[in-house]
Amino acid sequence: MQSTLTLSVSNLLIERAERLLCKDLSFEIHAGEIVHIVGENGAGKSSLLKVIAGVLSPLEGELFFAGERITAHRDVLQAQLCYLGHLAGVKSSFTVIENLALHFPAATEVQILAALRSVNIEKYATTPAYQLSAGQQKRIGLARLWLTNKKVWLLDEPFTALDTKGVTVLEEKLQQHAELGGMTLLTTHQKLNSTLHARELSLDS
Amino acid sequence: MTYLSFLKSELLAVFYRKQDTINALAFFLIVITLFPLGVNPSADFLEPAAGGIVWCAASLAILLSVESLFKEDFNDGSLEQLIASGLYLPITILIKLVIQWCAVIVPLLLLIPLFSQMLFLPWSIVHVLIFTLLLGSPALFLVGTIGAALTVSLKRGAVLVLLIILPFYLPVIIFATGAISAAQAGQDYSGQLAILGAISLLSLALSPGMSAVSIKASMN
Repeated sequence: MQSTLTLSVSNLLIERAERLLCKDLSFEIHAGEIVHIVGENGAGKSSLLKVIAGVLSPLEGELFFAGERITAHRDVLQAQLCYLGHLAGVKSSFTVIENLALHFPAATEVQILAALRSVNIEKYATTPAYQLSAGQQKRIGLARLWLTNKKVWLLDEPFTALDTKGVTVLEEKLQQHAELGGMTLLTTHQKLNSTLHARELSLDS
Repeated sequence: MTYLSFLKSELLAVFYRKQDTINALAFFLIVITLFPLGVNPSADFLEPAAGGIVWCAASLAILLSVESLFKEDFNDGSLEQLIASGLYLPITILIKLVIQWCAVIVPLLLLIPLFSQMLFLPWSIVHVLIFTLLLGSPALFLVGTIGAALTVSLKRGAVLVLLIILPFYLPVIIFATGAISAAQAGQDYSGQLAILGAISLLSLALSPGMSAVSIKASMN
């Protein structure tokens, strides 16, 4: 089962604002791996995640997931995907619980509160998101990682605006996800804890 | 994310943005009050002009509410989430649109009997006005959505939306006001209503798919 869960990218070419990014990029990620995408600002880290998530289309190249070609239709991947972009789609007028209920209609309030406790914003559960700080809003998006059962996580700068305690909690969650056979692709300029055994993928040419 | 949870969150979003609905209605009311003051408040002038005035005000109110349909979702990243969620985009766009239509048009229809009296439209014609709005306004929303989807990533896309979609509004306005004047002249107006319905159905078939393609193109 685990061996089939592989995401592979071959000869990817991404164009953003008439600049070519990730020329001829090929890599493979297996279940249980954490891949840390590194690169300068503007190297195309976020674009790469968006292309994999299906938000952007690549100019050239192919994507495969679990043995199927997903270049044109990402359905197979999206059924297993938890994508947290730079902006995680937190609606500012919604309360914290309402924001999560959109993504997890089947989750009970107890489960959602437990997830909020993990990211330490439980006492703001019924507060509108716009009243929270940047770090707390970030945590609303991150709380989804505690509720999801999806296998593929694409995280764009998950550590920004988090305090040191928050970073530790998130690193533990990533470790746990990897141990359970999930794969994570993340971008960050922070140094990851060596216990995560993250593989580095450089976009700098 | 499922279609149902998306529907719930859209309803919630409309509820939190009640101000937008009130703005659209207030705008409509202002046009209807200013027109007689500015041109001619006599019943002789207003009675034949009423259909046109109501329809121009309605088109502009719809345009204002549709133009920003995807703006907030684009700015806070919800649109990205929606695309990555694996839900079929045309259906989610249609859900969004139906909710927006209900939020703007239903209160408008409830107030139409009152507004039509301000313009001396005879009671026997009011139901024709309501029919034209019911059959014609979906087309305005659906066409407007394509424009909103095309310009979602632009900072100041409002004028561009106007330029793109206004030509497509003209047939709807012409047939709607045509139906009302035919009714006022005691003629049969079912032909105009049928055409309005046909335009709405045609836009229903084309708009969700085209909007989805436009949104995906705008993300690039």
